Amino acid sequence: MMKTLLLTLVVATLFTGAANAGDLVKMKGSTQGRSNHEFIYQDGCKGCHQGSGKQNATDAACVECHGEITSIPVDESKLAIPEAHPHKSLHYNQGASCLACHGEHEKKAPVCAECHRTWFKEM
Amino acid sequence: MHDRRSFLKLGAGAAVGGIAAALPSAVSATECASNIKWDETRDVIVVGSGFAGLSSALNAKRQGLGSILVLEKMQVIGGNSAINGGWLAIPKNPIQLAQGINDDSPEELVKDQIISGRGMQNTDMLRQIANRALDAYQLCIDTGVKFREGFNQQVGGHNKARAIRTLHGVGGDITTKLYEAGKKEGVEYRLQHYVEDFIMDGQEIVGLKVRQNYRFPDLKTGKTIYIKANKAVILAHGGFSRNLVLRELVDPALDKTLDCTNALGATGEVTLTAMAHGAFPVHMSFIQTGHWGSPDEGGFGWSNALLSIGFHKGISVNVLDGKRFMNERADRKTCSDAIMKNRHPDGSPAYPVVFFNHDDHIGAEEVTRAVRDQIAWKVDSLEQLAKQFNIPLAPLKQTVAEYNKQVPQRIDPLFGRMMDTAVELKPPFIVSRIWPKVHYCMGGLKTDLGARVLHSQTLAPMKNLYAVGEATGGTHGGTRLSSTACLECLTMGIIVAETIKSDMQA
Ligand SMILES: Cc1cc2nc3c(=O)[nH]c(=O)nc-3n(C[C@H](O)[C@H](O)[C@H](O)COP(=O)(O)OP(=O)(O)OC[C@H]3O[C@@H](n4cnc5c(N)ncnc54)[C@H](O)[C@@H]3O)c2cc1C
Repeated sequence: MMKTLLLTLVVATLFTGAANAGDLVKMKGSTQGRSNHEFIYQDGCKGCHQGSGKQNATDAACVECHGEITSIPVDESKLAIPEAHPHKSLHYNQGASCLACHGEHEKKAPVCAECHRTWFKEM
Repeated sequence: MHDRRSFLKLGAGAAVGGIAAALPSAVSATECASNIKWDETRDVIVVGSGFAGLSSALNAKRQGLGSILVLEKMQVIGGNSAINGGWLAIPKNPIQLAQGINDDSPEELVKDQIISGRGMQNTDMLRQIANRALDAYQLCIDTGVKFREGFNQQVGGHNKARAIRTLHGVGGDITTKLYEAGKKEGVEYRLQHYVEDFIMDGQEIVGLKVRQNYRFPDLKTGKTIYIKANKAVILAHGGFSRNLVLRELVDPALDKTLDCTNALGATGEVTLTAMAHGAFPVHMSFIQTGHWGSPDEGGFGWSNALLSIGFHKGISVNVLDGKRFMNERADRKTCSDAIMKNRHPDGSPAYPVVFFNHDDHIGAEEVTRAVRDQIAWKVDSLEQLAKQFNIPLAPLKQTVAEYNKQVPQRIDPLFGRMMDTAVELKPPFIVSRIWPKVHYCMGGLKTDLGARVLHSQTLAPMKNLYAVGEATGGTHGGTRLSSTACLECLTMGIIVAETIKSDMQA
């Protein structure tokens, strides 16, 4: 059910041209979150944090809705060079955690930017 | 447990104790095997997911060693291997043979490695690896790794063209395939699992203390679990080039201003943990640096290739006084030392610049990508160069004028550089900044030929504990030859699986 909801959202954002992971906005108290995840916060933290909000979330929470990394589209017109596709990385391909690049509650520089400093921005 | 204490009595202990104190992971009280409540059990646990770990895991599975678990502390698979340059030395590889080179052999490679090892290499180990090089190549081909067609080159220090290169020029072309093959064949991989300590029973390893859901570099993240290893623990955790404290302890020349080509996880705490449990380290102070680094990019980057032009066709200049300061074509160590003398009064680096003629290299890939990624810049005049990098203009002009006078004479009275490739400097220029980077650790845990880790008291193998790849020491000796690290890791992954199988039958 989550997956269908999400697909609708993705399709919607694709049409408006803003296919990004979502802006960081205030969610609950001082906790920030991604605007496209608002519906998840309505059910508390455990949608992503297994057990309790204090435990680190794992990829499972992301994959449940978004699917596997190599199947998630990115806006290829924005890549520095075609090989710089972060979801089909020549260095990692399937072997990257979502968390290597994406932070839910704070901005994060993707792992690629450790070397390719001008290719990717904090998200 | 008494094994850590007994190690500390061994003399080397003083230094190790000092490092351990700075690293919380290594100090935590050592648990006794008999008190542990195991959360999980596997037959073989592999620590680290680079070439060495991935090859070990896949081959252990193929040898029928049972359940195989790879633990990786970072959020990506592959360590240094995934970001490496994809060069792989294989004597007698099919591309070499197709080029008509028929006089290469494993022994020819070993000859080259003895020269670069300066007598301190482990020749038997190198020979064993070279003899299995075609097995490593086959492992790549079988798992779907693509190499550049018709491409086989002679690289630094090799007497034959025998280095092939992955299609995209990155080790990721290999790690992704080994990982995907392992997944298909039933190897289990976990990211964000930080190996914190070993659980020992005397000199035998019985399992690992692991922080699950760890977020590098914060040791307080995640929770502790204990995983039992029925048959073996294979250490494939890589080198320690990113451990600033450790590398400066073993080589004081490697101060903290030196950046590093390595992945952030190359911090070597597992080597220290192994030492604390009695494993014997060798050659820890043999650390390769590259004098060709740029402070304006991460990793290995484009700087090395750019400077292959700059060090021949251009000059390097001290930004504080506008003068040349070294023979740009001297060896790595001489250049590193000279570059690192460029300091502001407070000791911080005054990154020197290297520049050469823009118009002579229009369209060259080395230049275009460096400018695109902002590690090099085009300047139209010496005035602009001086302004942009804060170099005093008058001495800079004088430096260039003097140098240009020497070019037709083919002599360098200041530094004795070979001038056969030098050209007169004329603006516009391509300019970049330089500072050495730490690159590779020759030292690490000493093993026997079968990858069994040796104990520092008995000099005999520690039961069920194996090590492969850059985590090990003594194989290459004084310096490692380019394109042979990948070969070593892949091959030793094959060999360690065979060793464990034979140890199980013994
Ligand atoms: C930029 C660069 C380019 C290079 N180019 C070449 C080349 O072209 N050809 C060549 O032959 N060699 C090259 N080298 C050298 C070669 O790539 C490395 O020596 C080799 O990749 C090391 O492989 P490894 O499997 O031993 O370690 P790594 O690939 O570094 O893997 C070790 C893994 O262990 C993990 N780990 C460490 N500690 C822990 C812990 N406590 N718990 C869990 N996991 C842990 C690390 O995060 C890492 O992922 C290059 C090196 C670099 C850095």
